[in-house]
Amino acid sequence: MLKNILLGTAVLAGLSTAALAEDTRIHMINCGDNNGDGIKLQDQLIADWEKANPGFKVDVEFVPWGQCQEKSTTLASAGSPPAVAYMGSRTLKQLAANDLIIPVSMSDAEKATYAAPILATVTANGEQWGLPRAFSTKAYYWSKDLFKAAGLDPETPPKTWDEMYEAAKAIKEKTDADGVGLVAASFDNTMHQFMNYVYTNGGEVINADGEIVFNSPNNVEAMAFYGKLATVSQPGPIAYDRGKLYPLFNEGKIGMFISGPWERKKLTGDWGVAPIPVGPKGTPGTLLITDSLAVFKGSGVEAQALDLAKLLTNPENQMAFELAEGYTPLRDMPEVKGLVAKDATWSAFLDAIPTGGPEPFVTDYVALQDIINEAIQGVVLGEVDAVAAVEEAAERLEDAK
Amino acid sequence: MPKTLKRDLFPYLLLLPAIVITLVIVAWPLVETIRLSFTDASLKPTENYIGFANYEKIFSRRFPEVIARTFYWMALSVALKMLVGTFGAVLLNSAVPGRTLARILVIPPWVIPIAIGVFIWGWMYNGQFGMISGLLQRFEIIGGPLEFLAYRETAFLATIITDVWIGTPMVTIFVLAAMQAVPGDLYEAAWVDGAGRGYRFRRITLPLILPAIATMSLLSAIWTFNSFDIIWILTEGGPRGGTTTMIIDTYKTAISRFKYGEGAARAVMIVCILTAFSGAYFYLISRFAKKGA
Repeated sequence: MLKNILLGTAVLAGLSTAALAEDTRIHMINCGDNNGDGIKLQDQLIADWEKANPGFKVDVEFVPWGQCQEKSTTLASAGSPPAVAYMGSRTLKQLAANDLIIPVSMSDAEKATYAAPILATVTANGEQWGLPRAFSTKAYYWSKDLFKAAGLDPETPPKTWDEMYEAAKAIKEKTDADGVGLVAASFDNTMHQFMNYVYTNGGEVINADGEIVFNSPNNVEAMAFYGKLATVSQPGPIAYDRGKLYPLFNEGKIGMFISGPWERKKLTGDWGVAPIPVGPKGTPGTLLITDSLAVFKGSGVEAQALDLAKLLTNPENQMAFELAEGYTPLRDMPEVKGLVAKDATWSAFLDAIPTGGPEPFVTDYVALQDIINEAIQGVVLGEVDAVAAVEEAAERLEDAK
Repeated sequence: MPKTLKRDLFPYLLLLPAIVITLVIVAWPLVETIRLSFTDASLKPTENYIGFANYEKIFSRRFPEVIARTFYWMALSVALKMLVGTFGAVLLNSAVPGRTLARILVIPPWVIPIAIGVFIWGWMYNGQFGMISGLLQRFEIIGGPLEFLAYRETAFLATIITDVWIGTPMVTIFVLAAMQAVPGDLYEAAWVDGAGRGYRFRRITLPLILPAIATMSLLSAIWTFNSFDIIWILTEGGPRGGTTTMIIDTYKTAISRFKYGEGAARAVMIVCILTAFSGAYFYLISRFAKKGA
């Protein structure tokens, strides 16, 4: 009996010593998989950071895109937040309004490293709530093969919406393909695609004073044009999100579509990429999307998490990460010029940065997305006209801002 | 303690672990959901009691339309499952060659993981690459690719067809078991009296398997009403809310939009409706049990 008690005590003592010696864990949630070349660089930086900060160990958890943001937010609202998480910057305002994340307190020198439109994607109430980690702009891809087959000049992409529609119509009428790849699924990138038309027609969803201005004449035109494109698009755009367009393009089933720089690696055949055609009231534009590292409140290691996030996103490390992953560079650094020299297709994406607009920054992003998507679907299905769709959406968006 | 009291208490002691587990797993979340439904719980760390505001809110928006759609979806799906399932059971109960193989083949839709089965159906509904659209085009029934999940009506039907595909084997097996419990001498006596197949089915089989059909219909109604994965994977409730049922709407509100209070109010409504179904189920069971006795 005594022997058992002594043994038990020894085991307990051993366990408690081990517990005392255990590192403080920093839970980091990363969206996507761990296969990218940039992740290897990130792992190395984390290992270096751990060496420089003894007593702390970073646990990186990779969560698929579909559940990633929801998981971090749910964990935070349940009181066990990750220390740092990869989040779409569009969610930052909601997280900040609910006191779930801390501001990342950028110095003026740090702010100056970003172009103003990029900083705007993480700024709410005068403070920055995330450190930009990934960035994309969009451009217009066209099939030179289908342009030729439709009797169009394959080297001259459309510059205006009217030209874009006429080109799509010609392809639809003169070839077996559909004119344009259009998306209208109940998914975030449907709204993203539509925002490209909003920004190329001088529109906005919410203005600088925080007012909903979705029912502006500019947006009515954008919505009407989206509906018009549905007449020359592949059948049933509601069954498509953006990720389903490039297979259609490669199969020669659509003549053009709008997407980000990542498509360049996937496309086959003879194609070109150019700035997004401009609407009647607009100037060149594109939707700027950033994803950020957000530091959550209540993890107990906020200072360390912020320090780590700043290390990962400082100009030098961030640029290396972007080059490895093939992302659009966040900062205008010397390497960027080299990118264009090496691959001219980058210029359509990089030139668009200064004129781009951010994702609408609201406190209920999912509601915003659902409302705008439903308006788009209504117009694409022909159930409502553009004016009614935009008016109804604007009214409902008041609850989401 | 008197011996009789000890004896009387003993069964309750044995039941205690089950009671505790039930309270923790079922009762506590239910009570918590009801409590949340009277609050403005969201991502905010604090919550306030707001009376019936969440209930008023859900009826002032599109929720009545969602409730009606849910019942329509359920009724259509259950009716089809019962019809196809019973027909399948009749065929499998007949003395036809290959009956055993057919009985085995009826099971896969039920045993394949739902997510995988639904993804396969999702591809089949694809207009450009899917089998259904391809076949319809080949037989010149449609002029071009048809995206079944892109239009309200076709998406609604597509989700029902998938649900019927998954739910029918259970009905078939259940009804088949009931058919095989019908005493063979009843058929022999009817056959001797010159009764034909149709007459025997109407007068013997159907009345005797009716309790099984009624029970299965109710159970199927409960499962179908709460069916989430099929609709979510295929359409996420779209297009334009065309396949949004109560459970999808509740999930979107509570989980996607983090409006826990509003979501809880919707969940409470679902609980009330399913409780009514369960009450009907137990009433039927007890009625059939009495008749049987």
